[in-house]
Amino acid sequence: MLSISLLKTAQGHLMLVELRNGETYNGRLVKCDTWMNIHVHEVICTSKDGDLFWQMPEYYIRGNTIKYLRVLDEVIVKVWEQSMSRTDRKPPGVGRGRGRGREDSTSGRPTKRISPGFDDGAAEGMGGG
Amino acid sequence: MSSGTGLENLVDQTISVITNDGRNIVGVLKGFDQATNIILDESHERVYSTKEGVQQLVLGLYIIRGDNISIVGEIDEELDAGLDLSKLRAHPLKPVIH
Repeated sequence: MLSISLLKTAQGHLMLVELRNGETYNGRLVKCDTWMNIHVHEVICTSKDGDLFWQMPEYYIRGNTIKYLRVLDEVIVKVWEQSMSRTDRKPPGVGRGRGRGREDSTSGRPTKRISPGFDDGAAEGMGGG
Repeated sequence: MSSGTGLENLVDQTISVITNDGRNIVGVLKGFDQATNIILDESHERVYSTKEGVQQLVLGLYIIRGDNISIVGEIDEELDAGLDLSKLRAHPLKPVIH
């Protein structure tokens, strides 16, 4: 499992973030990206020593300032469920996958020609022009 | 290409992570990525002290950012279960200084 998939699944849930400077932010994760930049709502910020508190409606945190994230235990179960439901729909290795179009292709998606002038005589790339 | 850092061998095993700020976090490795960001489940921190035994703080599900990780170690669960942490005294680790 990748940390980004856990983080993506944690969207909408409560979480805790500690930054490199020791401050912690408690709030609801709204959005995250591949750099671990996060957008948090309904935040309570705690100072490094834990003696000062600030409450604010939202915060955007740059990923590289993060030390760690604490996520609710139930979120990892959701990641499992999601990956299971994905494999139910399309088991790995069974789909047509990537690659060139075939003669028996029934999909409407035309195969992209790499070199327009090239023609090997086979009826590949059907649907193309 | 496939065997990058070697962490794939440790997935679903209990590991010990030492962070740059000198913390020791123990938990079950659930995942990692290119940047050594690590997912730890059922994790707890072990706080060392010379005055009293090792304290264990329950942390739960953690994503530790790779930037903040110094060491990832395998834990021998049998050996670890045999430790009497309440009798163990140790100096706390100092943070990494860049």
